[in-house]
Amino acid sequence: MMAVSVSRVTELLESWREGDPSALTRLTPLIYSELRRIAHRYTQREAQGHTLQTTALVNEAYLRLANQEKANWQDHRHFFAATAQVMRHILIDHARRRRYFKHGGDLQRVPLDDALQISEQRADELIALDEALSELRELDVRKHRVVEMRYFGGLSLAETATALSVSEMTVRRDWRAAKAWLYRRVNGES
Amino acid sequence: MTPERWHRVDEVLQAALDQEPASRAAFLASECSGDDDLWRETTSLIAAYDEAGEFLEVPAMAKDAKLIAGHDDLQLAGQEIGPYRIIQRIGGGGMGDIYLAQDTRLERLVALKILRAYLLSDDERVRRFQIEARAASALNHTNILTIYDVGESENSFFIAAEYVEGDTIRELISAGSLTFGEVLDVSIQLLTGLSAAHGAGIVHRDIKPENIMRRRDGLLKILDFGIAKLIEPSLDVPSNRTATDTGIMMGTVGYMSPEQVRGLPVDERTDVWSCGVVLYEMLTGRQPFRSATDADTLVAMLEREPEPLFGPQRLTDRVLSRIQAIVNRALSKDPIRRYQNAAEMGADLDQVRNELENDPPLGDVRSGTLVGELFHIATRARSKSYRRQWLFVAGAALLVLLFAGALLIKRPSLKRQLNTPTAEATKKLYLQMDETERLAFVAAQEQRISAMMGDRPVKLNDEALRVIKQDVDRYAARSEGLNKPGQDSLQTSYARAAPQIPTIARAFQARKIPIVVGIYLPMVESDYRPCFENQIGARGLFQFLPPTAARYGVKYSEMCDVDKVAPAAAHYLADRMAELGDDSQSMTLVLLSYNRGDEAVREALRQLRETDPNYERNFWTLFANRQKLDAGFQRESSGYVPYFFAAAIIGENPDAFDLHLPPLSTLAVGPN
Repeated sequence: MMAVSVSRVTELLESWREGDPSALTRLTPLIYSELRRIAHRYTQREAQGHTLQTTALVNEAYLRLANQEKANWQDHRHFFAATAQVMRHILIDHARRRRYFKHGGDLQRVPLDDALQISEQRADELIALDEALSELRELDVRKHRVVEMRYFGGLSLAETATALSVSEMTVRRDWRAAKAWLYRRVNGES
Repeated sequence: MTPERWHRVDEVLQAALDQEPASRAAFLASECSGDDDLWRETTSLIAAYDEAGEFLEVPAMAKDAKLIAGHDDLQLAGQEIGPYRIIQRIGGGGMGDIYLAQDTRLERLVALKILRAYLLSDDERVRRFQIEARAASALNHTNILTIYDVGESENSFFIAAEYVEGDTIRELISAGSLTFGEVLDVSIQLLTGLSAAHGAGIVHRDIKPENIMRRRDGLLKILDFGIAKLIEPSLDVPSNRTATDTGIMMGTVGYMSPEQVRGLPVDERTDVWSCGVVLYEMLTGRQPFRSATDADTLVAMLEREPEPLFGPQRLTDRVLSRIQAIVNRALSKDPIRRYQNAAEMGADLDQVRNELENDPPLGDVRSGTLVGELFHIATRARSKSYRRQWLFVAGAALLVLLFAGALLIKRPSLKRQLNTPTAEATKKLYLQMDETERLAFVAAQEQRISAMMGDRPVKLNDEALRVIKQDVDRYAARSEGLNKPGQDSLQTSYARAAPQIPTIARAFQARKIPIVVGIYLPMVESDYRPCFENQIGARGLFQFLPPTAARYGVKYSEMCDVDKVAPAAAHYLADRMAELGDDSQSMTLVLLSYNRGDEAVREALRQLRETDPNYERNFWTLFANRQKLDAGFQRESSGYVPYFFAAAIIGENPDAFDLHLPPLSTLAVGPN
């Protein structure tokens, strides 16, 4: 029973929108459990052949967390952005753990179970992407956000455009440039 | 590279990408003449773009959903965190996981809670974590889970605590097996532990069934003392903050006290309140203030009195009225009127426990009475006092009837009503019937429901019948008051469904779909609960996945609106009927499609057709052959269609199940 305070999420989204980065930190645990629930359904339903769109599920998470009457469109968009960031955190967190446990410390480490959900290769991929993305952020914040929302948040071009308050054309351009830049970066060149 | 430089690169890059691929090289050459770096940069990016292909096009969630879902997210078995060697995962939630581990220094088992580092990502919180952990670990009482150690290792914080084998009170409530004596015992131990903590100046603030464990030998352990607060995102205590942002975030709001909600200072009486809520829930299986949304729950808790434990009328049984009084006092909204401390409440409960031992017994309640029976004991006790009066009236009326009957009334043919073989059985309640009678009843009713779904009901084999009967048994047992959370008594759930019937019926009649499908399908989906309530994501009424809902014209925000969802569901089902057929056998497939998706059903039918060209196209054949079909089908669908029949059998035969409603299909009004 993961019920969360009704006004809290909206409040935090408000703060975050106004530029308070710590609001995201506080928002994270609130939506973490929701995202896990969503992802859980994703894994189940996918197996049964129902198509799932991440946005629909994130939508659902938002409606669960924020009182429907109080939610307004602005908060909704920012929620998507926040969710994308949280998803990124979660994945990268996993990836780092995976890597950590592989490159052992002083203690004797038992080889990890093959059933581990994330392969070493995937962990490396994700970490490389994460680092490259952080570098991109230094150069071009908006492109970085676009990638975060599309890749980690699963948003479409149109949804990303609305979330960032720009045109779809702008997002398309950002996306292609970012893809090129990131591809080059993770494949070894800088 | 500076951002400004990048801006220039981007400009040129975009212009180049807007060109035909063949002309790009030339374009760049001329655009960047004089600036070699620019040319190199843009050329290499164009090359990267061309090579990138599907890179990043598939969102991470599609590949990594399992990770986020947290299945075995940390396969840590065998790993060491600090001095603890992990054995296996034993639980966990959104904030972190709990593992069974071995303390390598002391060779004892501990429960290790590992918290996600990013949840404690600022120093202030970390500092508070350490202070509170230290305070919590100083508590030493047999009813409080002992904290051994708190520390940090690599990316994680951990808490090492006493390892206890047993059940949480949540699990005990869900199992529906608590006896009245056990409820008293749990409560008394709970209050004893709290009393000790209060004596040490610590208020728990988050008492709820998930936080209380009963060890196998019956010893109670209170968990998460103060620790729960440490992993909350906002521990700000300034008094002008409301309780909606201090502390009780990841737990349910149902256990918060009025002063917590209002942001007033909390003290021991807050824990007393929460104990009152837990006691209420143990006795009735439901929370006293639970409503459709959190906001409603908080309002109910601040402004309304909870429903009496055992029915609206005055309690005449002595023990039950004592316990009601105790709960009332613990749930006084004004802390002044509550028990002033845990010990006081414990003393009253202790007194009740002593009265139970009284010889001769003071009433019908015993220590071993299941909580589910308490409601009936209360009712029986009341009706004992009315019975004499009633019997007199009834006796007189009967005489009149018999007299009139001889002259005027022809005996109605019972066979017309129910097709059961024995006329006697029709007068019995289902729960009073023996196995043979029940099977016969279910068989007859299944045929009747099938007929209502379309023509040509098929005679079911024994296994299929038994499965339906099992579902009827289980469903009917709810009328015995084995109230599990989320499962009210039959009376409540069917009464709650009744007002929706006319709307649903209209929508279904408009599409020429058998009304029973419209009525009982939502009962399988969700018991007509208010939306947002079901934990596994049911949205109440008809469950749709958002994309399907959209396809049938239902906006996401409308998915709880019966006026919008019912027609959409009818439309969806009509489409399925168009492909599969509209006789009663095909209708079972239509139901299945609703649950599993039409693709899956088509696939299952195809598989079946391959093995046996003479197969019968209906759910029961699929069911009989489920071993050959996929695991998903086996797991999920075996329950769905039989459960539909169970719901329909009960709803259409309310008399047999002690329901005080007419058959639900009779509530369906004709088209307006």
